This record gives sequence, C-alpha cells and structure tokens, in this order.
Amino acid sequence: MLSINAFNTYRIPQIFDYYRPRDLREALKLLESVEGAKVVAGGTDLVVDLKYRRIEVRALIDISRLDELRFIKLEDSYVEIGSAVTIQEIVESSIAREKLPLLVEAAESLGSWQIRNLATIGGNLCTASPAADTAPPLLVYDAELELVSLRGVRTVPIEKFFTGPKRVVLERGEILRSIRIPVSRNVFGWSYIKLRRTSFDVAKASVAVLLDARDGYIVDARVALGSVAPTPVRARGVERSIVGLKIEEAARVASERVVNEISPIDDARSTAWYRLQASKTLVSDAVWRAYERLLKIGV
Amino acid sequence: MFNFIGRSFPRHDGFAKASGLAEFTFDVEVPGMLYGRIFKSPHAFARVGRVDASGAEALGAVVLTPDDVPDRLFNPRLISIEEDTFKDWRVLTKVPRYFGEPIAAVAAPTEDTAQRALEALRVDFEEVYDPVLDPFKAMSPSTRPIHERVMRGGRWIEVKNNIAAELRYSEGDLDSEEKRSSVVIERKFHASRRYHTQLEPKGAVCKLEPDGTLVVWTTTQTIHNTKILISQVYGIPMNRVDVRKVLLGGGFGSSIHTNLVTLIAVGLCLKSRKPVKLVLTREEDMVHDHVSFEFYMKVRAGATRDGSITFGELDNLIDVGAHQIQAYPILGTSLGWFVSLYKWRAVKYHGRSVYTNKVPSCAIRGYGAPEITWAVETVVDELAEELKIDPLEFRLANYRGRGEIFWGQGPTVKSIIRSDGVPELIAKGSEIIGWKRRESPRVKTGRFRRGVGVGRGFHTSGAGGPLSGAIIDYTGAVVKVNEDGSIDYITALQDHGGGTLDAHIKIIAEELKIPPGKVRVVWSGTSTTVYDVCTHASRGVFTGGEAARRAALEVKKKVLEYASRILDSVSPEALRIEYDRELSDAVIFVEGAPEKRITLSEVARVAWQRNWGSISASVSYRATVAPPSFTVYFVEVEVDMETGVIKPIRVVAGADIGTVISPELAAGQIHGGFAIGWSWTVGDEVSYLENGVPAHRMSLTDYKLPTSMDLPSDEDFIVLFASTYEPFGPFGAKGLGEAASNPVIAAVANAIYNATGIRFYEIPMTPEKILKAIKEGE
Repeated sequence: MLSINAFNTYRIPQIFDYYRPRDLREALKLLESVEGAKVVAGGTDLVVDLKYRRIEVRALIDISRLDELRFIKLEDSYVEIGSAVTIQEIVESSIAREKLPLLVEAAESLGSWQIRNLATIGGNLCTASPAADTAPPLLVYDAELELVSLRGVRTVPIEKFFTGPKRVVLERGEILRSIRIPVSRNVFGWSYIKLRRTSFDVAKASVAVLLDARDGYIVDARVALGSVAPTPVRARGVERSIVGLKIEEAARVASERVVNEISPIDDARSTAWYRLQASKTLVSDAVWRAYERLLKIGV
Repeated sequence: MFNFIGRSFPRHDGFAKASGLAEFTFDVEVPGMLYGRIFKSPHAFARVGRVDASGAEALGAVVLTPDDVPDRLFNPRLISIEEDTFKDWRVLTKVPRYFGEPIAAVAAPTEDTAQRALEALRVDFEEVYDPVLDPFKAMSPSTRPIHERVMRGGRWIEVKNNIAAELRYSEGDLDSEEKRSSVVIERKFHASRRYHTQLEPKGAVCKLEPDGTLVVWTTTQTIHNTKILISQVYGIPMNRVDVRKVLLGGGFGSSIHTNLVTLIAVGLCLKSRKPVKLVLTREEDMVHDHVSFEFYMKVRAGATRDGSITFGELDNLIDVGAHQIQAYPILGTSLGWFVSLYKWRAVKYHGRSVYTNKVPSCAIRGYGAPEITWAVETVVDELAEELKIDPLEFRLANYRGRGEIFWGQGPTVKSIIRSDGVPELIAKGSEIIGWKRRESPRVKTGRFRRGVGVGRGFHTSGAGGPLSGAIIDYTGAVVKVNEDGSIDYITALQDHGGGTLDAHIKIIAEELKIPPGKVRVVWSGTSTTVYDVCTHASRGVFTGGEAARRAALEVKKKVLEYASRILDSVSPEALRIEYDRELSDAVIFVEGAPEKRITLSEVARVAWQRNWGSISASVSYRATVAPPSFTVYFVEVEVDMETGVIKPIRVVAGADIGTVISPELAAGQIHGGFAIGWSWTVGDEVSYLENGVPAHRMSLTDYKLPTSMDLPSDEDFIVLFASTYEPFGPFGAKGLGEAASNPVIAAVANAIYNATGIRFYEIPMTPEKILKAIKEGE
C-alpha cells in the first residue's frame, strides 16, 4: 500500500545530513565514515524517491560540484567523461559531438532541457534504471567505468556494471569516477531510437546501434536495448547474426533475433507484449538509420 | 464596425503572469498563518475506529477530526437547484469511500512540523472492505452498498444497487422509426477516466477578521457558491464569509464545485482561530476530489436509404466514483448533447450514474459532450458509409441547425437556434483539408498510413433559458466611472486563464467607446460583488460579457445625461458618442454642431466638481437562451502500422462562436481544446489496481499528457471562424471553451479509421491497443 500520508513533494519529508565535500578524497572518506550515506549528483531520480519516501536516507554526499568529476577529455584512444558531467554538457560538448554522436543523440532525447541541466551521466548509470538513456550507447561503445574508493581504483566494463533493476556492482565506499569510451579508427553509422508516450517521457523501449558496412554488407554491428529487460542489454546474438549480411537481410534478421535477447515486463508505460513487438520494429529501424548515416559519411 | 472587438490588445494580467508577479492561492501569505496537511485514507473503502491526535498535538499541531466538523451532508457543487442537489459528502469522513478521501487534518506553524504531525496521527480502521471498482458489479444486489442513503434537497432517499441517479426519456415512436430504417447500427463505447491536470493544484488560505468574518482565498471557478457552501456547512451568515477572487491556474471543471480542501482549511482556521494555508501537492490533487466521468455508452441509430436519420437510442452508464458532484445533472446533459446533435425522429434514453470506490467524478471540459459526440459521430460515420453517402452530406442533411429546438444543457434548458455556421465551416474546412481526395482505408497500404476524419460538435453558451429550470444561471457586473473617467469593473466571474475577463474589458470599452486600457478589473470578493453562479458551461463571454455590456450601457446613459446638461442639448438622445483615437477617450457631441463636444473624462470630472454624484451601474443578468457554438474539426493522422503510434499531421478547426471578440485568445482556446481532446483520445487514463489505488500512483511520471512537441505545429493547425452573429450575445458573441474540445475525439477516431480501416470503441486509443487490433486483423 502506498504510504499516502508519508510523502509530500513540496518538501523532502525526511531529516538527513547533507555534505558537500571539497574534493573527491573527502567524498570518499565521508562515504566510508558516515553511516547510511548515499551519493547524490543531479538528484533528478533520487530527490523524487526521497519525496515519495521510496527510500529513506540518513546522509547525502553531494558530488555534483567536484571539479575532479566534471570534465570531458579526448585522449589518443578514448574519450573520458567525468561522472558529474551533466547530460546537457554532453549535448553541448564539441568532443562528444565529434567523437560520440550516438551518445549525444541519446543525451539529447533524455527528459526535458531542465532535467538535462541537472541530471549527470554518472547518475544516469548508477541509478541503473533499465530505461537509462545513456546506457545503450555506452554499451555499444564498449565503455569502461572507473570506480574509486579509499582502497583504490578498479575498472569495470559497462556490460558487467548493471546487475538488475536499480542494482549495480558498486561496493560500499565506491564512487563512479569516470566513463572511458574507446574511440575507434573505424567509421560507424549510428542510431538511437526510442518509443515513448510523449516527447518528455521515459522510454517504453530504446535501441542503440553502431554499424559498419562494406559494399552493402555489414562488417561490424553493435546493438543494445533499454527498457526491455531488467537491465539495459547488449544484444550480442543479434550482432553475430547480422554480420556478413546485406543491409535488407540484416534489418530483417535483427528484427527476428532480438526477441531472444530481451525479457520485457508490463508497467505504467507499456505492456510486455507491446515492447516485444515494438522492439522488432525499433531494431530494424535503428539498423536502417545507422546504415543510411554510414552511407552519408562514406560520401 | 467595431473599435476594439476583434482586435488584439495586451492582456490585463499578461505582464503579471509572464513576469511571475501574479499572485495565485499558493502565493497568499498571512502573518502568523499555520500550514495544513490532510490525512488521506490509505484504503479505498473502510470504516475508521479511533483517531488518536495526541502525537500530533504533542508536536504543537491543531488537529481536525471528523468529530470536529459539522455532521451535515452536502454536495460541494451548488449549480443545481436545491431539490435536485444530491448530498452525500462530509468535510471529513469516518467511512472513507475512495483512496485519498480526507479523514483528518493538521495545522502547524511550519510545513515540516505539519508533515511530522500528519505522520504522528494514528488512525485505526475498524474494518477494511474490498473496494467496489466495476460499476456493473456495483449494481449487483449482493454488492456492499457504498452509500445506504443520501439526501436529495432536504429529504433522505435510499440508494439501491449503488445507483446514484437514474434518468429515462423517450420521444416519438421508436418502433415504427426502426421499422422504417434501411440501416441500423448498434455500438458500445467506453470512455475511461481522465484527470483534469489543471496547472494549479487545489488549495485555500483562510483567516478570521477581528469582527469574526472569515476571509478565504481559494482555487475556485465560483467565489459565490464557495461562500454559500461554507455558510451552509459551518452555519456562518453569508455576509460573514468573504471569498476573495484570486488568479486561477486553469480549471477545466475541476473546481466547478468547492474543493474539499477549502472546507478543510476553513475547519482548521475556525478551530485554531489562526490563519491557515492548506495547498495540495500535485500528487494529492490527483486523488483529492476531481477526475472525469467514466462512460459506458450503447448507441443504436437508424437511417433510411435516402439518408435521413430515423431514431437514436442511448444507454448511458456512468461510473461517478464515490460521491456525487453532478451524478444526476450529467445524465440530463448527456441526453441533451445526444438529442441536440441530430434530428432524431424518435429518441430513447436510459441513463444511470453508479457509485464505485474511486475518486469522485465531475465535469471535465465539455461535460460529457466530447464522449457523447464521439459515440454519435462514430455511428453517424458508419451509417453514412453503409448508405454510401458522403459523411459530410449526411451530417448536413440531418444535424440540428438554425430554427431547430435545442436543449444542450438538458431537458429543462430549451431554446431555438438562431445562429449556425455549420454549412460554412463544413464547406471551408473540407476544402482546406482536401476532403474530396480522401480515400477509403481499403485501398491504403504500406507502413505509415494517413487518414482524414471529421467530427462535428457543439457546446451551449451557458445554461440560461426562458424558464427557470433545474439549473441556477445568472450573473452580475458593476461598472463604475472614476472622477477622471477611468473605469473600475467589478465582477465575481472567475477567469480560468483563457482571457474571459479580457473579453469583458473589450466589451465594456466597445460600449463606452473608450480604449480597453482605461478599464481595470478590480480584485474583489463576495462581499463587494453581486452573484455569479460559476465560470462553467462556456458562459463566461456570452453571459458574463453581456452583463458587463449592460452595466456599461447603463453607465453610458448616465454619461450622456450629464453630457446633455453640460452641452445644453435638448435631451441625451440628441448626442452621439464616438471613440477619438487621438484623445484616447470617448467624445460626446451634438450631431451637426461640432463645437458642442466633450470627452467622457471631462463629463466625469464635471459630475464630481458639481456634486452630481457617482456614475455607476450594478446589473444582475439572466440569459434567456443558451445558444450552441458549433465546431467542425477535420483532422489528418498518420498511423505507424508496425508500432501503433499515431501522429497528428494536420488540423483544420472550424468554430462558430458568433462575433469573435479576441481572435488570438479564441484561437488559443481552439489549440488548447484540440490538445486536451487529443490527450483524451490517445493519452493516459486513470485506471485502478485491485486494492483501489490509482495505477498512476499519484504521479505525473506515470500519468502523461502530450506536450507541444507532440502536437501539430502552428502551420499545420488552421483555425477558421464562421461569419455568424448571435442576436442574444454581447455584440453577437457566443461561448467557446468547451465547444473547442467537443468534436476532437470523434474527429481523431474517424481519422484513425480512415487510415487503418479499424474502428476503436474505447478511449484512450493507445499504441498498445492499436497495434493489438492491427495484429489481430492480419
């Protein structure tokens, strides 16, 4: 039963301590030492949960203003994005626009402008919503996540990061520091498509595709989906089955095979049946659009 | 022809609203005020045992329990006459009948203390019942009664089988008309519940004056009915309740009644003897006391081979939720919409309003007309198709137009149609949309299919009529000329935000020949205004505007009298009055004697200096007709046959509103009317989980409305106004608000059929349902 009298969206109806550490090290120390502390960045998911009393917290550690987490930089073989970079900053970043057009396309479609100005890429991933818009692009980019704690640093491929709805591999005391995205020398066509109830809605289903083709045959394909499984998923079976095919055939096969790789559910936004049906079309559309973009770049 | 009417001027409240300076209920602050919170029922149907206030009181809160409020049944809506008013509400209840129904309330010096006090309240439930959610099951004799008895006017009546109200009607010889028919079509329709999603959540601020007068600022469409209800419930003389007008952030019918939050705030204020602010959060507003009616309609209709309509039958079952707001009147208006759409030669109607354990339903823009119009316009389309007659010709031959009797607001509000722009709107609209090129859905192929549909509807302008009837409908206006010739306009009539009062300003300006900028709308209250029933039924411009015009006309007569004294003319009749653009004032002069002239401002000054007295007028006005404003919408949609996603491609929206007072604001109403209708057709619905909790979980994350990005761009949305003149309206004007939304579902549904060849008899028509139907058809 919804605790109808416990929530009050005019306030955050909970009493908790709020910390704004000066640097990442202090944040990590606080995270170790403060009992029941939770990390907050943009707060676009967390604050709603606090208002609705879906979660109770005793302390929040605000990392949204830490310069160490607010950068986008281009290295030889990768782009690195700090976890507190906002979605709108990604949209407006010249590095991202040039090197990561697929991520930009997904970022542009996230929420409204107001939400994009607050929400961070780290928050989008750590909240671990199956519908997180930045997850499918990062999955197909083979992004790696750098997790830090007082004990040290470890790197986790994004495909291993999500363990279930709202669950990730972060351990106690760990913070997502940055996302490293390999920059391939190959040219890819890209496409991010999603279905939603209105223009400012969370996705019913989403697909990210990166594609390379030669002479009309697919030579490399990467496909990931959101909102159709407990976590955002990489559809490796689809990828394997379409490499070597002509585009018409590839789009058709991708559409057939995708149903084996997803396990959608009913919720307020849509039904499992619809998500399954729509995913077939979305994947085919996304493959086609990525291919058409590739042709344009090729010229 | 007109100086100001039909032209655009800055809105009187435009700067305040655009700059954020405008004050809404939420912004009202009174020194020393307490903040209120409501204890809402977590059960959809239960019986409260003990309310333990000690924990809340220990925090310093004032607690209001069901024992602290008068044990008096009421109906929060006072638009029907007393003997047709069904009463089944209490301010706070011991038997919550829907999830969210208020049981108790607290008030404390800070918002946080109020929230903690709310959480410290202990409410024991003696019994928790399984909620009754299906209206058909509700009518079974074995189902637990939601109300055993309620009051109609001053007497008790038993409620049988959870039927809140019932209405039967018949006219003509249905059997013989049916026998005569070459085609008979019977269809069932279901229109789900929708939340109003008005911009402003409900709230109230109350304070007591030292003399005991209760002052109330609240989100209401009617300050006077709010005053009367507070007076009736709490037993306070009406001159000791001053409900102040404050800007309203949209209504759409959600405050056609006095929202419960207002009465609870009053209770907290009276108990604490301190000012109290009680404003709902959006989430609370979603389960407070307003949502649309849910309709289950069965329509049967026939026509002869030559295309004339024979009979129409409507079985109308309405799920009204847990309490009555308009459970009885909606049965009459539903019948009125049905009867007044087409020239049925015989009619049979059975309407029932049924209680369920859900948020109580009330009017939402159109008051049943969008749903009835959808059902009828679908069946009419099907009849035309069956008869192989163009749907437009079929409509033109059979609709109720000029000279016909019309009773949109139900059997007690009849009048004759005198202005009718339907033929003009059909001719122009069909030309623009390219009706002649419209193809049958059977020849359409491919993934993205386009279709064009038409919907024709109307709404009344108010609920006036030649006989008194069952509905209260009159209004009033005070116009006062200041000593410098500036004008104060004092009215109780509430502007929902659509610009109704800007129309009034222009009407007054037009009558007095002074620029609209000289007229100020005074922010007043029930103590300083004469009665207005409510801004509802699209009556704001037609009825309220006419009252304003009549008050201005009286003022003009006095001005001319005084001018006649000053100019020494034989009588005021020898004078003419004109707008002088250069002087930015009205000029009064003797025809043929140019030296005999004076401005209105000078007349006002002289009347003051010579002790002639104030120039003012107070008018109370009842309209004797409620003329229909017709709307004819053509809509083109595109359906993705693989995902079921529907896009609106083009809209040609035609409206017959008589004289158009404010073209831009009227076009805005039409855009808004389409947007709300589109959301009803393809958007989200309010459905319920088995335990009676709304599936939207009180969240706009789960209950979505289309945004401007989901609607056609301005270039693809063409607004047409018919060139009509309504003899009873102010300067020929009629209403618009609801007419703008009434044909939308019908037009969109007919367009979806034209695109896909599939008819949907249930709204919302979501991509999920559309795709399912497409797959089943394959």
